[in-house]
Amino acid sequence: MKVVLYLHLHQPWRLARFRYMDLGSGRPYIDRERNLAIFRGIAERAYRPALDRLTAATEAFPEFRFSLSITGSFVEQAAAAAPDVLERLQRLVRSGHVALVGETYYHSLAFLLPPPELAEEVDRHARMLADQFGGHAKVLRMTELAFSDDLARFAESRKYAAMLAEGWEGMLEGRSANHMYCAASAPTVRMLLRNYRLSDDIGFRFSSKEWSEYPLLAEKYVRWLGDSPGEMIGLFLDFETFGEHHHADTGILDFLSALPRAASVDRRLSWATVDDALELEPVGAVSSPVTVSWADAKRDLGAWLGNDLQRSAFEAAKKLGTLVRAAGDPTLLEEWRWMLTSDHFYYMYVSGHGADADVHRYFSSYGTPYDAYANYMNALTDLRQRTVACLPTGESGGRSAPR
Amino acid sequence: MSAPRKELDPVRKGPAKTPAPPPVAPGPVDGARPDRAPSPATRSPEEWESLSKDLTWSRPPQRTAPTPDPALARRMHVVMVGWEFPPHHTGGLGVHCLELCRELTRMGHRVTFLTPFPGPFTPVAGVTFRHPGEPAAGGRVPEYPLAYAAGELARGSTAEAIEGYDAWVASREGLADASVVHVHDWFGTIGGAALARRLGCPMVLTIHSTEYDRSLGHPAESLRSREEYGIRQADMTIAVSQHLARQLIERYGARPERLRVVYNAVRPTARLEPVASANRTVLCLGRLTATKNVDTFLRAAARVAPAFPDALFVVAGEGPEYPRLIDLAVHLGVGDQVLFLGHVTEEERLSLLASASVFVLPSVVEPFGIAALEAMAAGVPVILSRTSGVAEIASNVFAIDFWDVEEFASRIAELLVYPVLRGTMGEGGRADALRDGWAERVVQTVGVYAELLAKQRSRT
Repeated sequence: MKVVLYLHLHQPWRLARFRYMDLGSGRPYIDRERNLAIFRGIAERAYRPALDRLTAATEAFPEFRFSLSITGSFVEQAAAAAPDVLERLQRLVRSGHVALVGETYYHSLAFLLPPPELAEEVDRHARMLADQFGGHAKVLRMTELAFSDDLARFAESRKYAAMLAEGWEGMLEGRSANHMYCAASAPTVRMLLRNYRLSDDIGFRFSSKEWSEYPLLAEKYVRWLGDSPGEMIGLFLDFETFGEHHHADTGILDFLSALPRAASVDRRLSWATVDDALELEPVGAVSSPVTVSWADAKRDLGAWLGNDLQRSAFEAAKKLGTLVRAAGDPTLLEEWRWMLTSDHFYYMYVSGHGADADVHRYFSSYGTPYDAYANYMNALTDLRQRTVACLPTGESGGRSAPR
Repeated sequence: MSAPRKELDPVRKGPAKTPAPPPVAPGPVDGARPDRAPSPATRSPEEWESLSKDLTWSRPPQRTAPTPDPALARRMHVVMVGWEFPPHHTGGLGVHCLELCRELTRMGHRVTFLTPFPGPFTPVAGVTFRHPGEPAAGGRVPEYPLAYAAGELARGSTAEAIEGYDAWVASREGLADASVVHVHDWFGTIGGAALARRLGCPMVLTIHSTEYDRSLGHPAESLRSREEYGIRQADMTIAVSQHLARQLIERYGARPERLRVVYNAVRPTARLEPVASANRTVLCLGRLTATKNVDTFLRAAARVAPAFPDALFVVAGEGPEYPRLIDLAVHLGVGDQVLFLGHVTEEERLSLLASASVFVLPSVVEPFGIAALEAMAAGVPVILSRTSGVAEIASNVFAIDFWDVEEFASRIAELLVYPVLRGTMGEGGRADALRDGWAERVVQTVGVYAELLAKQRSRT
């Protein structure tokens, strides 16, 4: 049984408070200092200690291997706020124990935009991986683990060997997630699926005292892994699980250290990066005409585009793309791309009920979804006004000039 | 608008992470330990903190059909010592009293409502109104000089009139079967306490606003002392918000174990059909007093108006600030986009709400703010100051610092310019406003009566 541990490293560039009255003021949309301060806090609680433990594990157990995806905003913030975190990552990648996963540079929803946006953002990310880590990704993930038949075709067109996706029942039709699959729409693309039960045991339930399995010890968890049927188990998690979502005092970092040790004595288990897992032959094909993600009970895009606020904000951003491209100014293009980061839309989720709403509140950087929406729309409106001002005459699309 | 006064200290100001100020429990609470509780003077701040931690009360419960405790089903006779009563009322107190009477009688209780005014009163079956100057039982001779009736009260010496009202309340006969005396605000605290003592029944005091708030931190001692007296005498004091409850503890020495929070509510109405309006209307509605802080509204209007030439800023209501505010609007150069309506009737108010795009309540402090809740119930998105009681039960609003003109201006502009925001927030606000109705609130109030009566029974 191959255990495919894959951790996602991302911090968004959160917007500054940008009031309607700030339109045309030239104020930046992003509060750089606030973002860096947040990054430093998480670096202290999660990135440093967890990376140190992972590094120690690769040294103690040569067979311990795992995979990382690292967004562009994460690397930019790490370089500015905690360069030692970036160095730790570079050392780990050089050690050969780690495979890198490709995605969009901006952690964006570009997969919902017309070409060539997605390809450009994925290529930008690939260049960053090469520059920063000397690495190259064979496997692609989309923001929020989005997957659809169209996205599989995209991966194929960009010569990726595999994609990551949620091992969701709707797509598996009674089959187990613990096998290698390929995409029905693009059979050359293999599909590595997330075992959400075993992943969420760590990601969500680890520190819950109401959970019948609490406390979760590495030995017990490794036994669950070993007892699972199939050829591979996809444990796909946010990196911040280790020290941030669960604080150190829950024992999560010790669990992370103990996991490779406990697995080393179970002969049924071996560690594999996403690249290593490609040697497995597909047992079947998976297909999803609609986009599935790894979020919320419904595993759709509802967390980002579920309500009117989110959809109208995204539509406005999408529309602006045409103008931005017409304006041909690289600064405007870059700023617009940061507006596509999925986190902005996540903050506009109107609190509903139950567990999902609690998760959303935890991740939000605004008091209310209305704050998030108004702020986003103000910044986008300002960007639109600047873009229109840059357009060659006659290309303003009949829209009014900035106020 | 001058800089915010220190003593007003908007408690919910600052980042969201600031620890919430001590909450006060609604309804019966385990922390009621009067015999063990030291007097306020001897308690350290730490003790207060730990005590208030026991009294956790985050949000009002989800709406359920109110099923009164069987113990509460006992028919009670509530003697209400009130003041104004609809249709002639100026604020939340009148509305609160009317709804309290309606729900109490619906639950089978009887109410005798004492008021200094001769009416007319919105009739409620099961409620007997009594006022000075009413025909004495069996005779036509007024029991009390008419000087204390409404019109005279305003014109004559207020202090004397209040004393007269207190004396009249204290000497009411024919109330021997009263279960509880429930006083509202300061007007009848002395008379109400005396009446309760004479009748041997518990006294409940609801505080709708304090003299501190009404006077922007410069209370008239004669009124403040009546409030303090009432709080000291009452077996239980009800505040209409946490914010107000904290103030009663801090400024009046109220004991948390004898303090409850019961919020106001609105009566659900059919969703108002929006009035088609050529202009986009931004509405500010309330009594034009200094606490309502209409200055901020006008200054924000002046910031927004140039970018929205079709927007109309409507100030509805009357009060001592009226002439000064008109001058201010002219001075700010927005005279042509600000409309002062003066007093509006109930019908006009509803039609204003139906046509409004945004409702603004910028009060320096608003013990509750029923007008905002009514706007929310009508589906109008609301911008209000953090220092308002409504903000405690509403999440689908913009709650901001009362002095932050730029923020008010931005929020107004955002709601005018983004229709999806307006619609979503309006719907969310409506749900907030209608989550708990008067029935739920009055069940909480009756819970307070029952708690006191049970305590009284256990003593005898």
